[in-house]
Amino acid sequence: MAVYKQTYRGYDGPLTPAWSRFLILPRYAFEEMRRSRFFTMFFLVTMLAPLIFGLIVYAEHNLSVLKMLGGRGDLVAIDARFFLNLLGWQSMMAFFLAAFVGPGQISPDLANNALPLYLARPFSRAEYVLGKMSVLLILMSIMTWIPGLLLFALQGSLQGGGWIGQNLRIAAAVFLGAWIWILLISLLALALSAWVKWKPMAGALLFGVFFVAAGFAGAIDAVLRTSWGQLLNISHLIGTVWASLFDQRMHRGAGAVFFRVHVEDVPVWCCWAALLAICGLCLYVLGRKIRGAEVVR
Amino acid sequence: MNEPRIVFDNVSRFYGEVLGVNRVNLSILPGVTSLVGPNGSGKTTLMNLMTGLIRPTRGEIRVLGLSLERPEEVFRKVGYCTQFDAFPKGLTGYEFIYSFLLVHGMIASEAHKLTMQALDRVSMTAAGDRLVAAYSKGMRQRIKLAQAMAHGPRVLVLDEPLNGLDPMARAETIALFQQWGGEGRHVIVSSHVLHEVDRISDQVILLSHGYVVAEGQIQGVRSEVKDQPMQILVRCDRPGMLAARLFERDHVVEAKVHADGKGVLVRTRDADSLYLLLNRIVMDSGLEVEAVAPADDDVNSVYQYLIGPEGGAA
Repeated sequence: MAVYKQTYRGYDGPLTPAWSRFLILPRYAFEEMRRSRFFTMFFLVTMLAPLIFGLIVYAEHNLSVLKMLGGRGDLVAIDARFFLNLLGWQSMMAFFLAAFVGPGQISPDLANNALPLYLARPFSRAEYVLGKMSVLLILMSIMTWIPGLLLFALQGSLQGGGWIGQNLRIAAAVFLGAWIWILLISLLALALSAWVKWKPMAGALLFGVFFVAAGFAGAIDAVLRTSWGQLLNISHLIGTVWASLFDQRMHRGAGAVFFRVHVEDVPVWCCWAALLAICGLCLYVLGRKIRGAEVVR
Repeated sequence: MNEPRIVFDNVSRFYGEVLGVNRVNLSILPGVTSLVGPNGSGKTTLMNLMTGLIRPTRGEIRVLGLSLERPEEVFRKVGYCTQFDAFPKGLTGYEFIYSFLLVHGMIASEAHKLTMQALDRVSMTAAGDRLVAAYSKGMRQRIKLAQAMAHGPRVLVLDEPLNGLDPMARAETIALFQQWGGEGRHVIVSSHVLHEVDRISDQVILLSHGYVVAEGQIQGVRSEVKDQPMQILVRCDRPGMLAARLFERDHVVEAKVHADGKGVLVRTRDADSLYLLLNRIVMDSGLEVEAVAPADDDVNSVYQYLIGPEGGAA
């Protein structure tokens, strides 16, 4: 047996805090996205709606603009429905973004057996998922609740008179409603990406889960003369939850584009439970698929 | 804990019904250790187990005295280079190493310094700013090695690290392994290229169908294989006479004059008796012996004896 001198010295320099290391992953993902002209254009387009909504808020409080538009007040009511419409539109854009960006986060690593690169380090599976998910969390936050709250602040500053204090529920609803959507879509995008390990298929599946399930829900309702089929309809679930967050008495049909609100169809708590179940299922899939080494069966 | 060993204590790993490895007991000392075995013998499973990527179904593993239940400490001491060509898209060689050092927790300036050192050690400094996607197979292999050792691990686990390397790069890489082993690190290497395993290894672990068939220094392993007669090559001036004298003994199974006519290849069941006999013949007949050397105490022969030519246990 050879006798070795222990000349080796390991690294004993400074280290960054463990909690911050997951943020290394989005850094390179953003750099790659920046190189995509399509993504950059799309992201800029998603900022148009907040800009238009901001102009409406500004016009609503600017006498000269109101005179130019005919001199009447109340161009648009700046209320819960206004913010819900903004949230609905931006969330739809965020969904398209998630379908574009989300599937590319995990599936290439799984398809190429790259997970040991991350997991044979002081870096856990949860940190890996959080790192990959943070790409979506950051981008979708910029698109949803951040402009929502900025508009809320703009409206509050222009309106004055304690408007912010009287409408804090709107701000909370924008923040919470956006985060529910962001978490749901991020988890769905990552779970599908991990499940099929193929980027285009994962993107297609995300649309399938959203639209095909909605169609299926409608068919169940029509055949069985019930409304419980809507538990499979994610737009219905999220719309109902948003309605409860913003204002329970809102009219049927509030929201934007595919977030239709049917507050009376399925109890709100059932919608919450269904959303939690979807998130739980996504976490289960991620837990099964995100492993340092492929499990042979 | 400063225990300089990697210890497997009765470790088994099953994938559902499929056996990965079974009842593995190992105590691996510093130096270069090669894992040898056919495809599906459990080499990668063993590597995944010692890097904590999979958990044993049964038994316990300790790396340098640390339990794998403490990944923050263990992974600081372990570097793993898998057999897969897996690189995040759009990164240069430098960024590949640098970004994973950041994941490791190094601060930016230290990560830069360590990245440059790692690139230098694998002779990739000049190619560091090129995209990994544009690298040749050999360059990709070297950049993988660089990322595995960049954080200064004490245990390097390298799955098929010589694949795709040209002869020059192979020689350099082998020298690197020997240097790392010489520093007192554990270098665990799996390879199919048996003659290279001979050159690299301080000890070998032979695996077949998920079981450890043999472990230790290869000469020691060979001497334990009692059912296969030892082959010994005797270089001398009168091989015909020597062959005739040797063949009179029961323990000599075969005595064959070498093809070049300058030696005898002897197969014996008792090497010690053969050496004594050889001494007597030299004394009696004045035979001039140039060299006596075992001819089958290399990994290739031991592999053939223990595992068989087709990879099934012999």
